[in-house]
Amino acid sequence: MTSYVLPGQPIPLASQWPSASAGRRAYIASLVGIPQQEGPVLSISRVRPRPPAINSVVLGSVTRLSPLQATLSISVVDGVPLPAGEEFTGVIRIAGHRVKIGDSISLGDARSYFVTTARNDLGVVFAVSEAGKTMVPVSWQSMRCPETGRLEKRKCAKPE
Amino acid sequence: MALDRRRINGPEESFPPVFDSDALQWKLEDARKDRSPDDIRPIFLQPGLISQANGSAYIETAKTKIACAVYGPRQSKNTTYSEMGRLNVEVKFTPFSCVRRRAPMRDAEDRSIAVAIHQALVSSVRLELLPKSTIDIFVTIIESDGLDGCVASGSVAASTALADAGIELLGLVTSCAASVVGKKLWLDPTEEEARLSKGTLVLSCMPALKKITSVWQTGEMKVAEALGCMDACQEKCTEIHSVVAQALLESAKI
Repeated sequence: MTSYVLPGQPIPLASQWPSASAGRRAYIASLVGIPQQEGPVLSISRVRPRPPAINSVVLGSVTRLSPLQATLSISVVDGVPLPAGEEFTGVIRIAGHRVKIGDSISLGDARSYFVTTARNDLGVVFAVSEAGKTMVPVSWQSMRCPETGRLEKRKCAKPE
Repeated sequence: MALDRRRINGPEESFPPVFDSDALQWKLEDARKDRSPDDIRPIFLQPGLISQANGSAYIETAKTKIACAVYGPRQSKNTTYSEMGRLNVEVKFTPFSCVRRRAPMRDAEDRSIAVAIHQALVSSVRLELLPKSTIDIFVTIIESDGLDGCVASGSVAASTALADAGIELLGLVTSCAASVVGKKLWLDPTEEEARLSKGTLVLSCMPALKKITSVWQTGEMKVAEALGCMDACQEKCTEIHSVVAQALLESAKI
């Protein structure tokens, strides 16, 4: 399967694909691209930016902090950077989890997406200390400032 | 007409020079000028011309020249929560697009074309996958030769631009115009021909799925004529579909 498909075109399936033999209706492409079949997953890959969906992993920077929530501007969704000026707004609430910057999502209200850091590998990727230096993570919940050596509490991420 | 004080305004009225010409002195019995009744003007289509847009397309059919840019999906601003995405179509005429100069302001004509293009596209876009988001489509008419041609070419360009932007579509939309002149049926009318005709009809469909997305009829037409127009348009849409498909495949392979 190396040929391109267009929106509306049935995807040519290999015969070992379960429903191809079961006489089901065809699968119709909705994107321009080369369909790829990996085990039970049939996909047309694309690297175009898209809005966050439930279970997307996002990367953003905190724009506003309050005791109850942090607002962030989401700039990367599932590893695909969004064009400048087209960031989505996300909100991390204090309820349910620990500290700052977040990387995962649920569909929020009209204005923003609800983001959480509740998974083990999600959390702060980049933080600046009180002295204004980029901090280094030392454990999953603390980071050290290279200049003053002080520990600050952050829930650190563990990016792959 | 309102005056826009933020711009350098040209003379309030301007007229094109009038040349002695063999201007249209058609009679209804006359045959069509340079093509047969069921011929459409040749189409040039190029996706991905505007680099800063997420997706774009440029279409040229004889004297009709349209550029279309797609931005988004981006987060909807100032709107209430919606499960479905929104499709926002804006049409702009360049000042030099028509025979008479157009003021650089939006008017009712732009909006009616925008509504027609929106209607042609909206059922082909999988908006249910884009909650809380907006897709912006900007259609710039660089040169216009008949409103019906603009709607048809604009819809084709916009659908191509959407596919170029990687937005999920149920199928590619193609569109074709037809007019009833006298007792005959002329496809893809120019501005002169449209002026001569009793009524015009623009049909948009997804040939891959054999689904019609919109029919836009103006003027006077008998039922049989309207049905004849729709059949002829649908046939041409299949031909236009292969032009669009080829253009998209060529741009995808680069």
